[in-house]
Amino acid sequence: MRTTRLILYIVLIFFMFIYLLPFWSAVTTSLKTGRQVTMTTPIQLVLPPYFGAYKTAFSELKRPILNSLLFTTFATIFSVMIGSITGYVLAKLLRESASKKLLMFITLGIFLPYQSILIPLLRIITKLGLYNTIPGMILTHTAYGVPITTLLFTNYYYEVPDELIEAAKVDGASPLKIYTSIVFPISIPAFVVTAIYQFTNIWNDYLFGVVLTRGEEAMPATVKLANLKGSFVANWNIQMAGALIVAIPTLFIMIALGKYLIRGYTSGAVKG
Amino acid sequence: MRLKFREESFYSLLFLTPAIVLVGVFIYFAIVWNVYISFTDWKGLIPSYRFVGLENYRILFHDPVFWTSFKNNIILIILFVPGSLLLGLLLAVLLDRKIKFENGFRTIYALPFALSFVVTATLWAWMYDPSDGVLNTLFSILHLDFLKSNWITDPHVALYAVILALIWQFSGYTMVIYLAGIRSIPSEQYEAAIIDGASSAQLYRYVIIPQLKKPTLSAFVVLMVFSLKAFDFIWVLTSGGPGTSTFILAVEMYKETFAKTKFAYGASIATVLLLLSFAIVLPYLYWSYGGEKE
Repeated sequence: MRTTRLILYIVLIFFMFIYLLPFWSAVTTSLKTGRQVTMTTPIQLVLPPYFGAYKTAFSELKRPILNSLLFTTFATIFSVMIGSITGYVLAKLLRESASKKLLMFITLGIFLPYQSILIPLLRIITKLGLYNTIPGMILTHTAYGVPITTLLFTNYYYEVPDELIEAAKVDGASPLKIYTSIVFPISIPAFVVTAIYQFTNIWNDYLFGVVLTRGEEAMPATVKLANLKGSFVANWNIQMAGALIVAIPTLFIMIALGKYLIRGYTSGAVKG
Repeated sequence: MRLKFREESFYSLLFLTPAIVLVGVFIYFAIVWNVYISFTDWKGLIPSYRFVGLENYRILFHDPVFWTSFKNNIILIILFVPGSLLLGLLLAVLLDRKIKFENGFRTIYALPFALSFVVTATLWAWMYDPSDGVLNTLFSILHLDFLKSNWITDPHVALYAVILALIWQFSGYTMVIYLAGIRSIPSEQYEAAIIDGASSAQLYRYVIIPQLKKPTLSAFVVLMVFSLKAFDFIWVLTSGGPGTSTFILAVEMYKETFAKTKFAYGASIATVLLLLSFAIVLPYLYWSYGGEKE
């Protein structure tokens, strides 16, 4: 029994090394000078660390990171708010048959290959004068966030007992009043899960960013990182520093708030 | 009472408007528009909507690059989907054994899935670099030189290298799904099997794994749809190369549309992708909302 436990831990630790290897080599490489990158192996950490690669990568990524933070924050707020009020109507105000149909109509978007709307999306955003703008990115990410946020909130509100709402209805409260005074306060956990999920998703997006932006005015950090690959071809230290900088927000979320992010995944969520 | 009813419908409509407008315009209207574009001759930056019927599809189905992409998509599905499911299941089963630091292990395995594909593609570009890259250096140090490869620069290896990295990124996701599935099985069932003298192998084989149909199906759909729309990771890591060895439909669509500005032709590839994903998703949605009640 003791030996099987020991083997179990050895297997788990072996997998841990495999999963961490790309991160470890990125960290060590990002802390080297260009010369050290060629003179040492990617596994070795060289001390004292050299921070020049981070300086270069950060100066390239500064503006795109601000862009990403800005549109990710707003699109997260908007898509979560819309998901919440829509979920409330679907789970508590409509008859079951109508609610199921509408939910299917909305959540089909979760599984949509975005290629199939990409060209019209570019036309719509251009026509609205929002090409290469932060509002254009906010609008796009809000629209494509609504299917998943609606699904997460609807599932959450299905679990809320109807009696809670019926009591307020008898007292003559309007649906708006019921939402703000009863439904909203009890859905804080759903807001946390959905917002964290959306923030990660939008921050990580590349496809919409690369199609809908051109210049630094609105370019997301992911798009700039992909461009760094072209402008710093053999400078692995700068590329790794850039990748780690862009990874910081979502790495932080997974490490510090992983519980909530995982709840988002397990409630029928998808990526990419 | 009558007033009450009208007030409720009014608010229902008001609250539903943003979602319905956004989904209506950005999803349904856009899908229809895209299909329409695929029937036109729009090429170049200025939209032209001259109707040419099925011409783009006729060219597409005679285009060898389309069939290469299609074949690569199939290989991706055949290896990536079961690979991610099985590795995730293995990790979940291993972690479900009252492990110390379970949270730590789980976070580490799930870490790659929280990252942007652009980030992971950049990390794997360094892993796979043939000259000084991580894997080849590591194999040299470990005297495993026979495992060295040119990875993403070798047309015979590149697609498999891409798939391996994607399994690395997605197995944490399937692990999380399976772990939640295993934990939701009522403990009486475990106890009954243990009282009957089942070994842990038998417990998994006969009690736990048969009850994981639902998580398997939802993860399966997610992975299948991902395989169809996978773009970011491959585009940043290989741009479809070397040659067309890592072209899949989503990469071809992007290249035709935005690099060659053949919008109508790109729209026809996008329509094929849409139909393929509907073939997977619609039965699933019907099964989860329509047929049986929770």
